[in-house]
Amino acid sequence: MKNFAHYNARSVAEATHLLAAYEGKAKLNAGGSDLIGVLKDRILPDYPEAVINIKTIPGLNTIEENDGGINIGALTKLVDIINSPLIKKNCPVLKETARTVASPQIRNVATLGGNLCQDTRCWYYRYPDGIGGMIKCFRKGGKTCHAVPGENQYHAIMGAKKCFAVCPSDTAVALTALGAVLTVAGTKGTRTLPVEEFYTPLGNMLALDEMITSVNIPKPDPAAEQAFLKFTLRKPIDFAIVSVASVITLDQGICADARIILGAVAPTPVRAHKAEEYLKGKKLSDDTAAEAAMLATVGANPLSKNIYKLEIVKTLVKRVINSGSCLS
Amino acid sequence: MTPTQIKPSLPTLTLNVNGKLHSFMLGEGLHEVSPSHTLAYTLRERLGLTGTKISCDEGACGCCTVLMDGKAVLSCILLTVECGEKEIVTIEGLEDPETGELDPLQQSFIDHTAFQCGFCTPGIIMSAKALLVENPSPTRDEVKEALSGNFCRCISNYHVLDAVIAAARKGGGE
Ligand SMILES: Cc1cc2nc3c(=O)[nH]c(=O)nc-3n(C[C@H](O)[C@H](O)[C@H](O)COP(=O)(O)OP(=O)(O)OC[C@H]3O[C@@H](n4cnc5c(N)ncnc54)[C@H](O)[C@@H]3O)c2cc1C
Ligand code: SF4
Ligand code: FES
Ligand code: FES
Repeated sequence: MKNFAHYNARSVAEATHLLAAYEGKAKLNAGGSDLIGVLKDRILPDYPEAVINIKTIPGLNTIEENDGGINIGALTKLVDIINSPLIKKNCPVLKETARTVASPQIRNVATLGGNLCQDTRCWYYRYPDGIGGMIKCFRKGGKTCHAVPGENQYHAIMGAKKCFAVCPSDTAVALTALGAVLTVAGTKGTRTLPVEEFYTPLGNMLALDEMITSVNIPKPDPAAEQAFLKFTLRKPIDFAIVSVASVITLDQGICADARIILGAVAPTPVRAHKAEEYLKGKKLSDDTAAEAAMLATVGANPLSKNIYKLEIVKTLVKRVINSGSCLS
Repeated sequence: MTPTQIKPSLPTLTLNVNGKLHSFMLGEGLHEVSPSHTLAYTLRERLGLTGTKISCDEGACGCCTVLMDGKAVLSCILLTVECGEKEIVTIEGLEDPETGELDPLQQSFIDHTAFQCGFCTPGIIMSAKALLVENPSPTRDEVKEALSGNFCRCISNYHVLDAVIAAARKGGGE
């Protein structure tokens, strides 16, 4: 791996000031399970001059209950989310989602903040510099997208402009279903941002000097049914081809509220608004589930090789509505 | 470029591997550790601990698994400079330091011929070791789950399951 200056940040202020000082030429390292691969393959147009270890910042790896809900530090490891009684009790969908990420060894180091901020997995974007040269495209400031005329079977089927890579983060899908809000710190202070608004067509909303410090999940209605389903080719160590997370509140069999989020279909997690609206006030049945599933795909615009994803979306949406609990 | 007063990592690093302390200067020299070195690289190329294998070198196969503070982790995606305060155990650290006898888990892999080429084996044994330390009598499904991050191209998987379960029965987790 090409060398870089290395810092152990001792506070959020240190980390954000270093980010600012390097003007975009530094990268934060949390678990490193995404970043180290990115660096080894030299896929970025500008190889970072510095790597800032943020695991040395104290206090960012706790899971706590507060008035507003459940607060998870950005450096909390996925394994600790999976084993947390607080998460299991309040947001089982996040636990189930975290369980499907990568492998046990990766979940032992991977953090929630890193999971949300991981780089795209588009195989053109990820093409290693060492075998034939890095591939430029819209996402790297280039002038084209190679996936549109090329191999796009795992790319977006909706909501994409210019770049058709899908958001690879599984936890983003569950956190959007839960209505989670990020706390973001920069050199000029902190702000909050819903996970639902975090992703942009070519990346995310973080400014050069910003990092996520925590994720706040408003306490879900205890009666709400939470579910996450992820379709992959292999069970362990695989990214979603399509995933669906749902939080559905029933009142005597009638749907009082529904949040249905599609993952790996677009550059951002996608709220199936039409399906959500349709379900409200309806009795859940095979028929209403099928109609909601159909509505979830309205507006999709698949590429040449990924129309098959629509059927997976429909099937998973039907299943989360019918399963009513956390299965994966 | 040193754009701020914030100082880079200390110029020296002490690693605790298999209970022994090793000190390094940070740098590009022959015996130094560079900030961009992975733990897998340092173990193999600086400490001569070649039992830890590198295969995919990007977190996807499990061959480079070692224990860090008792947990199975992938040494190919860890920066050595960030491992200073940790207790690292590699496959070489499993044998009894006094008698040189193999760990019962290692012996069980031999007894069950739980490998063919053997390239994946150190990683699999380290993942299994982490499981048995935490859960000394796992079910077959729990073993499968714990080893789900380790690939074996030779398909020794069934023998591996038998070996781990047998070692657990004999108390190999302790
Ligand atoms: C083989 C393999 C399989 C995988 N499978 C999956 C999968 O199934 N599902 C999935 O969702 N992911 C998967 N991943 C991707 C990824 O490794 C994990 O999602 C992991 O959670 C990333 O967390 P990390 O702490 O290791 O991130 P890092 O690698 O440390 O960081 C990732 C990126 O986020 C930035 N970052 C980290 N923390 C912060 C923060 N607090 N604020 C701002 N920026 C930050 C870093 O600068 C870096 O650019 C896989 C990775 C591998 C190698
Ligand atoms: S989908 Fe996005 S990342 Fe992939 S080639 Fe197109 S522009 Fe680049
Ligand atoms: S070599 Fe580390 S996971 Fe493959
Ligand atoms: S024994 Fe050959 S890879 Fe597992």
